[in-house]
Amino acid sequence: MSSGETQALLSVRNLTVEFTTRYGPVRAVDGISFDVNPNETVGIVGESGCGKTVTGLSLLGLVPSPPGRIVAGEILLQGRDLVSLPEDEMQALRGQEISMIFQEPMTALNPVLTVGSQMVDVLRRHKKLTRRQARASAIEMLAKVGIPAPAKRIDEYPHEMSGGMRQRVMIAMALSCGPKLLIADEPTTALDVTTQAQVLEQIVELQDEFHMAVILVTHDLGVVAETCQRAIVMYCGEIIETAGIESLFDSPRHPYTRGLLDSIPRLREEKRDELPVIPGMVPDLLHLPPGCRFADRCEHATDTCREQRPALKTSQQSAASVACFHPLD
Amino acid sequence: MSAALSDHRESIWGKAFYKFRHDRMGMLGLAVVLLYFIAALGVWLGVWGTGWADVDGPKWAPMSGEYWFGTNIIGEDIFQRSIYSTKTAFEIGLVVAVLSTILGALLGALAGFFSGRWIDAIVLWLMGVLDSIPFYLFVAAVAFALQGNPWAMHVAMVSTFWTTTGRLVRGEVIKLRNFEFVEAARAIGVPQFTIVFRHIIPNTFHILLVQATIVFVAAIKSEVILSFLGLGVQDGVSWGLMISESTLEVLAGFFNNFIAASALLFVLVMAFNMFSDSLQDALDPKKVAAS
Amino acid sequence: MELLQYTLRKLIGGIPLILGVTFISFILMVYYGPDQTFELLGKNATAEQIAEVRAELGYDRPFFVRYGEYLKELATLDFGLSNSTGEPVNAMLARTIPVSLELVTPGFILGNLLGVLLALVAAYHRGRWIDKAIMGFAVVGMSISFLIVIIAFQILLSSSYGLNLFPVRGWNVHSLYSYVMYVTVPTLASVFVALGYNTRFYRAVLVEEMTRDHVRTARAFGISPAKLLYKHILKNSAIPIITRVMFSIPLVVVSGSLLMESYFGIPGVGKVTFDAITSGDQPVLKAVVGLPAVLFVVTLLVTDLLYRVVDPRVSLM
Repeated sequence: MSSGETQALLSVRNLTVEFTTRYGPVRAVDGISFDVNPNETVGIVGESGCGKTVTGLSLLGLVPSPPGRIVAGEILLQGRDLVSLPEDEMQALRGQEISMIFQEPMTALNPVLTVGSQMVDVLRRHKKLTRRQARASAIEMLAKVGIPAPAKRIDEYPHEMSGGMRQRVMIAMALSCGPKLLIADEPTTALDVTTQAQVLEQIVELQDEFHMAVILVTHDLGVVAETCQRAIVMYCGEIIETAGIESLFDSPRHPYTRGLLDSIPRLREEKRDELPVIPGMVPDLLHLPPGCRFADRCEHATDTCREQRPALKTSQQSAASVACFHPLD
Repeated sequence: MSAALSDHRESIWGKAFYKFRHDRMGMLGLAVVLLYFIAALGVWLGVWGTGWADVDGPKWAPMSGEYWFGTNIIGEDIFQRSIYSTKTAFEIGLVVAVLSTILGALLGALAGFFSGRWIDAIVLWLMGVLDSIPFYLFVAAVAFALQGNPWAMHVAMVSTFWTTTGRLVRGEVIKLRNFEFVEAARAIGVPQFTIVFRHIIPNTFHILLVQATIVFVAAIKSEVILSFLGLGVQDGVSWGLMISESTLEVLAGFFNNFIAASALLFVLVMAFNMFSDSLQDALDPKKVAAS
Repeated sequence: MELLQYTLRKLIGGIPLILGVTFISFILMVYYGPDQTFELLGKNATAEQIAEVRAELGYDRPFFVRYGEYLKELATLDFGLSNSTGEPVNAMLARTIPVSLELVTPGFILGNLLGVLLALVAAYHRGRWIDKAIMGFAVVGMSISFLIVIIAFQILLSSSYGLNLFPVRGWNVHSLYSYVMYVTVPTLASVFVALGYNTRFYRAVLVEEMTRDHVRTARAFGISPAKLLYKHILKNSAIPIITRVMFSIPLVVVSGSLLMESYFGIPGVGKVTFDAITSGDQPVLKAVVGLPAVLFVVTLLVTDLLYRVVDPRVSLM
């Protein structure tokens, strides 16, 4: 046993993912580093295009390979570097040690196979089970995610189920082999609000039961607030802030995070004239400024900000970090 | 680089043009096609290829300074005939491509716009009937019905080649019909035919352009076989006629006629295919090309 | 029961199509077709002889009467005797259709099978050199005329200027060995010509399928590439593939056989058809023109049924 410090389950160091486009190479993820501890729920938040989905995909080596590839960095899963892992070992790991669920439940399942056959395939791929055993196990998992009459539904086709139910099936499939880490990429964005709440609740419950860590990738701060213990904020391919949930929402340190929080419409007592928005636009990844990428939209920006890239600095006491020359307090 | 990037247009044509210009295979194809076109133009204007019917050469002369490709079995200059055939090919290709595209656009748009009603049913039925009649039989029948008229082949080709364009346009129009700009036009009282012609059909031009190139190639290739069957070009000469003339010659060991016509045909078709491919690639990124 | 109803409904729905095809074909080939009177009688016929033959051939009756008779013959499959040869039409068909099928089938199967295989390889290695190479060959294949291929293969394989392995023309088939001898060159030619188009189309279908979400899901769960290819990609591509294969049947069987039979002198139904058109032999024409329409409708029906088998989302509506 180590000296009281729990070793991180996942350790990402300097990950950089590049895409070749007609106009030149583009870095969707540019030198990010973060940790995920066992049993922890971490949210990766940011707007569309900030690189959060690509981050999730690269953990499993699923970045679409003709245009994209990991050009630098390490992804350490309990000390094992996934970036340099040969493909067949990577395949053994997917669904078994790390599972991922995606955004669109409508299209994520194979329409010509029954739900059961897809789940059994996954189970038998990673565990030595007979068809009968795998099927029984699948039915059990379906029950666990709250699907009524699982023994019947297991033989249904995806198009015979609602969106919420399909997403639950995805979750069941993802958890069926007992992974240590679940990556959920916008799992509820395509669902209606009520179903959203149910599915999120399910994920939280199951996480507890299965003792997994969860990385929740989303643009929705509300979802993060409800389910995560820690949040990582990304902007333009970089991590600009990480913090515990409460301190992030109470006192965000990066101006961008502050801007995001301010722009959430809230029920208030006093009326406001306008919804605050962050002025300007996300910079074009082909023409990145030399300094801080948020500088031209930030009202606190100075010349230093425009000339040098701020590094992500961790504060000693709180394990929170921020990449800014003039963080807010 | 940033100046060029920041002012390239956002329209489908602007993007397509940019993409196309950088596609080397496509540009090469286009260049070759233009070369052939110039050759055809020259024949049409009487600048060259005029000696295609002169029978004053020796039988089966080999390639020489006087007869660049040699002569065929009755002493005609193969080179002259090959060049003349360029004009024939473009004639057939252009006439059939343009007419069938127009026909396909009109009928397809009509069917799509009035989808579900009797006009649509009739057009679909017509397409089904034409598609299920075997092509060569149809051409033969048309040729006889028109009593050997040299345009019989063109008529037959246009009558059958329009259906694919028609189906594609119909599908696109059905999609477009549901777009809001159509509803908006209707709401301010624009008459239906105007909507179809001024708003909807222009949005199918990218499909029409690609289909026209595909039909051009199909027409040229079909002519070869039709000429072999005796149904094709009646006056003048074409690569198809040259090839069918050569079928006996090759069994006697004389290959010039065959190789000249085949090679020229192949290069034109291949170049056109490459051009067509990059056109498709530029206009619709989901298309076939290897990337 | 439901299946039977569906089948009947589809067949009945195909009737307007059959009517349309027979109508147009009738007009073109039979009504406006060559007048066989003089061919049969020669040049020095008397007026009475002409009138007699014309009546016999039915040229003097009004259009709709003739069309009606035609439909009756089609329905009862009784086409009478050929005007040119006197042979019963049904016997001619019985003799020549099998030959055409024997000629065309190997090429058809091989062309599609190889097309799918090459497409799988190309799609799997999408963007890499082997994909580009396969697609390059496909474009080349698409750019060479069928006639050129036939002639070239004949020179290369059957003539003394080439390998001289196979017979130049004809169809003297009485054993497996002779079958292989006579069918090889035509088959190679038709496979060569079809392969380019097939490979490109199937590759596009497969690539489209490969980029779908559910394939990404399967990969995310560690499913091996081989299983991915079969269970997820190929199976989902079945519908477009089946559609194309089925719809190319009328095209390949009729048009393809026509050209090859003319060139290689093979006594199949394509050649019979062509001769009938050029000579105006009406009984044969009537038979041979109506049948492809029926074939087309049956093809449509079988395609629909196959969809049902392959894709559970398709319902028998």
